[in-house]
Amino acid sequence: MTIPAGRQGTAGLQLYRYRIAGLTVSSDVEIPGLHADAGDAAADVTIALGPVPERLDDPAAAGPNWAMAPGAFLLQVPGIARFWLTGGAAIAYQPELEAASGDIAAFLTGTTFGILLHQRGLVVLHASGVAVNGQAVLFMGPSGAGKSTLATALAQRGYPLVTDDFCVLGADGAGRPLVHPDGRLPKLWAQAIRHLDLADRQGPAVRGRLSKFYVEPPQAAASPAPLPCGPVYALQEARGPIRPGIERPNIVDAALLLRKNAYRARLIKQMGQEELYFRLAAAVGNAGGVFQLTRELDFAAMPQTIDALERHWVGIGELVGAA
Amino acid sequence: MTRLIWLASYPKSGNTWFRLLAANLSAEDEPVDINKIGERGGIASARDEFEFHTLLDSGLLTHDEADSLRPRVYQTMALEDDGEDLRLVKAHDAYLTSASGEPLLGGALGADRAILIVRDPRDVAPSLANHRKIGLDAAIALMADPGACFAASPRAQTPQLRQRLLDWSGHAASWLGQTDLPVHLVRYEDLQAAPLATFTAAMAFAGRQVLAADAERAVAFARFDRLQAQEREQGFIEWRPGGASTLFFRRGQTEAWRSELTAEQVQRIESAHGPMMRRLGYALSREEGVQRAV
Repeated sequence: MTIPAGRQGTAGLQLYRYRIAGLTVSSDVEIPGLHADAGDAAADVTIALGPVPERLDDPAAAGPNWAMAPGAFLLQVPGIARFWLTGGAAIAYQPELEAASGDIAAFLTGTTFGILLHQRGLVVLHASGVAVNGQAVLFMGPSGAGKSTLATALAQRGYPLVTDDFCVLGADGAGRPLVHPDGRLPKLWAQAIRHLDLADRQGPAVRGRLSKFYVEPPQAAASPAPLPCGPVYALQEARGPIRPGIERPNIVDAALLLRKNAYRARLIKQMGQEELYFRLAAAVGNAGGVFQLTRELDFAAMPQTIDALERHWVGIGELVGAA
Repeated sequence: MTRLIWLASYPKSGNTWFRLLAANLSAEDEPVDINKIGERGGIASARDEFEFHTLLDSGLLTHDEADSLRPRVYQTMALEDDGEDLRLVKAHDAYLTSASGEPLLGGALGADRAILIVRDPRDVAPSLANHRKIGLDAAIALMADPGACFAASPRAQTPQLRQRLLDWSGHAASWLGQTDLPVHLVRYEDLQAAPLATFTAAMAFAGRQVLAADAERAVAFARFDRLQAQEREQGFIEWRPGGASTLFFRRGQTEAWRSELTAEQVQRIESAHGPMMRRLGYALSREEGVQRAV
C-alpha cells in the first residue's frame, strides 16, 4: 500500500503531499491510493479544511448539487461534505456532521479533483490506463463500465498501471498527446477482487460503508514521467446485437466518443472547453487512434478480452519490439 | 418545454411494450429497431443520467445517499427541453419518499404526470421468473416481499440505481395513492384486447393527440410476434439471456397463468394480493368458479 509522507504544517497540522496527474498537491487530510510526493516546493494545489459558502449567488451554471462561476465551483455531496474549488489551485472542504474523513478523501480524489483539473483548462478523460511498450493505453467509459477491472487484469499480465478512473492528457512540443501517470491505486468491488483472485492485494475500503476496496496492483505502477498516448478504447458491453470486437470509428464518431467520455462531460460546454476535445480527437487519431472495445462484462470473458487486445496491439504495431 | 411523464410499472407488466408502441408512432415504412429505443437514458434508475447531473460517481454513494439526491435530479431533468413535446421515462420504483421525506421521484416538480401500467400478477409471476432466471415460487415470493428491490447488491456495482419495488400490491397502491401527480391507469390486458383505444387514451393523457392512422401503424409494428421475431434475429439490448431464459419477449399473453401455474401457486398469489387484484379488476379464480386441473 502506498504510505503517504506526512509532515508538520505551520499550524501544527499534519500535511500530506501527493502527485496527481502531474501536479503536486498538499493536503491536510490523508488520501489513500495516491503516490506520495517528496518535494518541498510550493504545491500546485492545496486541499484544506476551510470555509465553504452555503450557496453561490447568480451562478453561471448549476445542477442539483453544484453551482459554478468563473474560477469558482461549489459541490455538495450529501451527508459527506461541501467542496469549494477556486482558481484551479485550492480545494476547501467543510464536512457534514456524520462524515468520516475516509469518506471525504474518496470524493476529494474523484469528482472534486477532476473538476479542479477542468478549472485549470486541462483535458481530462474518464479513463483508466496501463503502459504497453512505453505508451499509455487508455480505456474510457462511464462509472461501472469496467475500466478499473480491465486495467487491473492487464496489470496481472504484466502491464504497469498508469492511471485509474481519470486521466489528464497533455501534449509534447510537437502536439503529440502525453499522459501523466499518477500511480493512483485502482478501486475494485469485492466481486471483481474475488474473480481476479486478488484477495491478498486488497487494501482498505474506499469508504467504510462500501464493499469497494483499493487494490495494490500486481505489477509495479508506471513511473511518473509522462508517456506518449497510444490507442484509446471506449468500453462497451456486448449485448443483444452488439457483438464482441474492436472497431475503429470514423473521425467524427471518434471525436464524439472522446467528448462523451470527458470526465464530468456535463461541464465541458459550461467551461467552454469543447474545442479542446476536438483538438484532442485529432491528436489521438494521429497517434494511437480511438477504438471501440466491445466485450462481455462477464468475468469469465476477461482472458479473451485481453487476448483480443494483445492481438490488436500487434496488429497496429503497438507491441512491436515487446517481448 | 418537454413534459416528463413517468411510465411507471411493476417489472414485467408491459412497460417495454408501451415504450415500443410510443417509439413506433414515428416509424413510417418499417418497425422501429427494438435495439434503438434507448432504454438507459430513459429509465429513472439510470446511473448515467444521475451522474451526468450530479457530477458524482454513483458507485461511491450508498443507495440511501443516491436516493437523497434523486429528487433533485428529476427536478433538474424536468426543466430540460430536448425539443420534443414529451419524454416518457420508465420507472420501476414504487412511489416512495427518500429518508428526508421528499418524494423519491421529485414529486410534482419531478414530472408532469404518470401513466401506471399494471398486469395480472398471475401473469407477472412466470414472466418475472423468466426475467430474473429464478423459479416460479421464488418469483411469487419476491412479489409478496415488501422489501423487494432491484439492483441492490452491496458486493458489486449494479447496472442501475437501487429500485425499491415494495410487494406487487404495495407498488400499485403507492402510485394510485400518491397525490403529487395525476395518474392514468393502463391495464396490460386492455392494451392487448383494445390496443388502439387504450394506447390512444394513454397518450392523450400524456398530452399527445395521436392520429388514428399513426396509432394503427404503431400497434401493428409493435405486435408481439414482430417484437419477438426481431429479438430472435438480433437479440435484445435491454437484457441478457441465460439458462432456460432465452427470450425477453417470452409469450406476451394474457391468462397464460392458467397453464403455467399450479392451483396452489395461483392460491398463494391470490391470497397475497386479493384486495388489489379486485381493485384493478382481476377476478380471483375461486370467485370465477373455474375448476382447473393442476
